[in-house]
Amino acid sequence: MKKNLRDMRPVYVVGIGLHRYQRLSETPYVTLGLTALREALADAALEWRSVQSAYTGTALIGMAASRPMLRHLGATGIPMAQVENASASGSTAFRQACIDVASGLTDVSLAVGVDKPGPVAMAPGKTRMRDLVGSRVVPFTHFALLTQEYMTRYGVTAEQIAQVAVKNNRNGANNPNAQRQKAVTIEEVMAGPAISGSLTRLQCCPVGEGAAAVIVASDDAIAELGIDRSRAVRVIASVTKTEKVYRDAKNFDAELTRETVEQAYSEAGIAPGDLDLMELHDAFTIEELLYTEAMGLCGPGQAAKAIAAGDFNIGGRCAVSASGGLLAMGHPIGPTGAGQIAEITRQLRGEAGVRQQRNAKTGLAHMVGVGAVCVVHILQKGA
Amino acid sequence: MPNRKAVHPELYSPDSAGIPSLSGGKCRACGYVFFPPQRYGCESCGAPPEKLEAAELRGCGRLHSYATVHFHQGKDIEAPFTVGLIVLDEGPAIRSLLTSGTDDGLTIGDRMKSVLVAAGSDPDGSEMVELRFARAEAAK
Repeated sequence: MKKNLRDMRPVYVVGIGLHRYQRLSETPYVTLGLTALREALADAALEWRSVQSAYTGTALIGMAASRPMLRHLGATGIPMAQVENASASGSTAFRQACIDVASGLTDVSLAVGVDKPGPVAMAPGKTRMRDLVGSRVVPFTHFALLTQEYMTRYGVTAEQIAQVAVKNNRNGANNPNAQRQKAVTIEEVMAGPAISGSLTRLQCCPVGEGAAAVIVASDDAIAELGIDRSRAVRVIASVTKTEKVYRDAKNFDAELTRETVEQAYSEAGIAPGDLDLMELHDAFTIEELLYTEAMGLCGPGQAAKAIAAGDFNIGGRCAVSASGGLLAMGHPIGPTGAGQIAEITRQLRGEAGVRQQRNAKTGLAHMVGVGAVCVVHILQKGA
Repeated sequence: MPNRKAVHPELYSPDSAGIPSLSGGKCRACGYVFFPPQRYGCESCGAPPEKLEAAELRGCGRLHSYATVHFHQGKDIEAPFTVGLIVLDEGPAIRSLLTSGTDDGLTIGDRMKSVLVAAGSDPDGSEMVELRFARAEAAK
């Protein structure tokens, strides 16, 4: 019979590491990835030879990225594969690592996201199904359309939506791994430059380079390898879905998230009110409003009020994108989803320093990607 | 009339009189109407290509959203230009450039209609036309 992650062997995040997200540089992807990975191994106090499978979340580097990077830790012969799932590549690599451990195929597995901006071949452009707009509509215009529709439907202003960038850049200013580490005022956000619709530059995420690594382990590995159990954070749900034909819904983005998160809540046995923090796909400001509503953190059309009231601040009822999110921490594609897991783990351990959400016990990571795909994980301390 | 060509001949005809229609598709198995056309299989019910047929979609619908693009890296068009999300009367939600380069006066809910606009000429001198949408009637 079909099982959920929670019905299988418990899986714990035991090590996290990052290479700062930054603008494209001369640094080879190998260096980016190994930096994150060595930090994750040190964080878990594990040696590389304990890792039994590895998944590299990457969308932009090209074919066969894993072993040319990972062999420099010592070629142990373990199974390795690349995971490409658009913006959710890192999230999906993490899910594969969790499945290996949960199923009993491995006791210790790795997900590492690494990417550098570069030319990329997009398969949707090869389906020979041209539409009227083609490349004239890129993601920021897709979300500008959703922004205008939202503003009209709920009577919300462009400035209220732009407040998401103020909040998330404030968080990013305290994150040494963030690409944007500078607090901004609402005036600075609104001043532009204008990109599409009401979206200004600071309401669109930077796409740079970086890496994020996450090591997951079983109870057996924690016991046998002497891993510090007090710093282990359990993964209590892993759910991924793809878009269906939603005949009655025009906002497919919100609907896909709603369905995916609903199943994750059900599998984890929690309600939206149990979440102390979440990292969500805020590539554009409007997404925080759409998704927090779709996830049931507040009612339809209520997100702007919740943001204004500080509900989603660090210290609020559910800190949203305490890392700075995609808007400030950045969106290097492959690393992004793994970086979310690192932030939630750090928070649930109580090790997030000035970004710490107090008494955080339960956190959710959410990514969406072109396709469309949605990947959600829920992590819990002491579970 | 000189020889006219459509920028997207698979999506509309360059010679439409009146409101130009769009070339969509329909599934005979489940009735799902879609755009752009394809002969791979039905996204809604999975019916095979032989169940899919061409469906002419009247170029009429309602404006669901709009955005003026201020920054564009592509070479084929210069910003600013305005994109509309239009729900066609037959059901599909499609994105199209609007004839107006700005969003001045647009309101979600406006009735929209398709129009063919000049889009330069191709190397053999044929006049090119491109389908866009224009406001037909203000939202009530």
